[in-house]
Amino acid sequence: MTTKPATNLLTHNPFSIFGHFVIVTYKNVSSFIQLVASTMVQLFAHLPRRKETIQQLYFVANGSLWTIAFCVTFASIVTILESSFHMKIVIQNDSMVPGFASLLILRELGAVVTALLLTSRIGAGMAAEIGSMKVTEQIDALKMLGINPVRFLIVPRLIASTIGCVLLSIIANMICIFAAMIVADKFLGYPVGVFLTAMRRFVDFQDIVFASIKAFCFGFVIPLVSCYFGFHCKTGADGVGRATTQSVVFSSVAIIVLDFILSYTFSYFY
Amino acid sequence: MIKYKKLVKSFGTRTVLKGIDLHIKAGEIVFILGTSGTGKSVLLKNTVGLMKPDSGEIWIDGENVSNFSEQQFLPIRKKCGMVFQHPALFDSLTIYENIAFGLRKHFNLDETEILKRVEQALSLVNLENILTKRPGEISYGMQKRVSLARTVVLQPKVLLFDEPTTGLDPVTTNSINTLIQNLSRKLNTTSMVVSHDMQCALKIADHIVVLDQGQIVDQGTPKQLLQSQVPLVRDFLAEARDLL
Repeated sequence: MTTKPATNLLTHNPFSIFGHFVIVTYKNVSSFIQLVASTMVQLFAHLPRRKETIQQLYFVANGSLWTIAFCVTFASIVTILESSFHMKIVIQNDSMVPGFASLLILRELGAVVTALLLTSRIGAGMAAEIGSMKVTEQIDALKMLGINPVRFLIVPRLIASTIGCVLLSIIANMICIFAAMIVADKFLGYPVGVFLTAMRRFVDFQDIVFASIKAFCFGFVIPLVSCYFGFHCKTGADGVGRATTQSVVFSSVAIIVLDFILSYTFSYFY
Repeated sequence: MIKYKKLVKSFGTRTVLKGIDLHIKAGEIVFILGTSGTGKSVLLKNTVGLMKPDSGEIWIDGENVSNFSEQQFLPIRKKCGMVFQHPALFDSLTIYENIAFGLRKHFNLDETEILKRVEQALSLVNLENILTKRPGEISYGMQKRVSLARTVVLQPKVLLFDEPTTGLDPVTTNSINTLIQNLSRKLNTTSMVVSHDMQCALKIADHIVVLDQGQIVDQGTPKQLLQSQVPLVRDFLAEARDLL
């Protein structure tokens, strides 16, 4: 009979696995908090690098505009058609669809879909770019030249992503409403005037403000999560790929959780 | 100039540096030789605070820097230039901007003076007419030379080279080795060179340190190393003789 090595026992011991998970999670969370704190210090301690921030804003906003416009158009069409279909089944008419769809678009769809699309586009890009810089020792080179990498790399991306996400979410909301209005007019029999009247009855100005606050928070979280994974990227192409994937997954999860927290908080103001 | 006292550094369960004791004098050219994964680059990165030692001390110019914060390391990094294993050039900047980057940060110079110094640094590494190109538009060997120029242009007192000639052709390798020697002799720069190249070490080093599995297995002047009975050193010497 052979004896199992001690390391095997440790590896398969559920307490050991749980303990390892707790330690790794604690380390990751604390280093993420450190990065956020350091970013906040750099954000308020120095003026942002204007040229780099504008370049990043162009990359975030202009570069993502058409993708977001295209996707949210279809998302809003699906929203209004599905709402109509199900309302007809449940309450035998869909007269509340224009107002209901407008509300859903402004409170959820515009900001969340925009943020999720931004995550997969710019979040992945940021993680890959910073990850490659880490692997090729560019971040170490920055430190050697006396440059704070957080100030140099994260702050411009954070400002650009926050402003870009708010702007894109406002544009996405307008496009969504416009697409829903056309579909309501052409396919559901609600002329533009009826749609707008219903929308005015359901939607308040605070919905637009809350949507912008959500977009601001999402735009703030995407670069922090993405840059964190970029900065903690392991060596090699595999490391960069893993960092990119993790950044998209964790940013998306963060957006969904943040959306729940914000929606729940805003519900006290309605 | 630089002293390491019982320096230990681990990654997880793997101890890479196992109590390094080393003294590097001002103006010396010290070659750190060893096979891959023996902790040569880790030793350099610990010196300038890019990694933190687990225990032990690092003294630079009479200061114990082992527990220095990022902020405290700024003047040390101004004093020490490092040429990385990768060229580590910033892809979004031109060659001119890459080399001028540190000059703009540390010196209050006008643009004409910056251009003059950048051109001088490039001519030291036998490069010209590439100021407006981006790193992606020049070869790997040229990128490594630009990286060297970026470090040299700041005229540091200590130069740390992490495999400066890996991936370069023999002519450029030779010119970079000559450059390391000239900087040390003319400007009294202290140089630490991580390398696998025993032949070059024998030619230009004042002191050679051989690392194996995180420990110094032998050290001395090139003459002393030629008499070494340590198997790893003998292997390095045999390879160097084969190339001659």
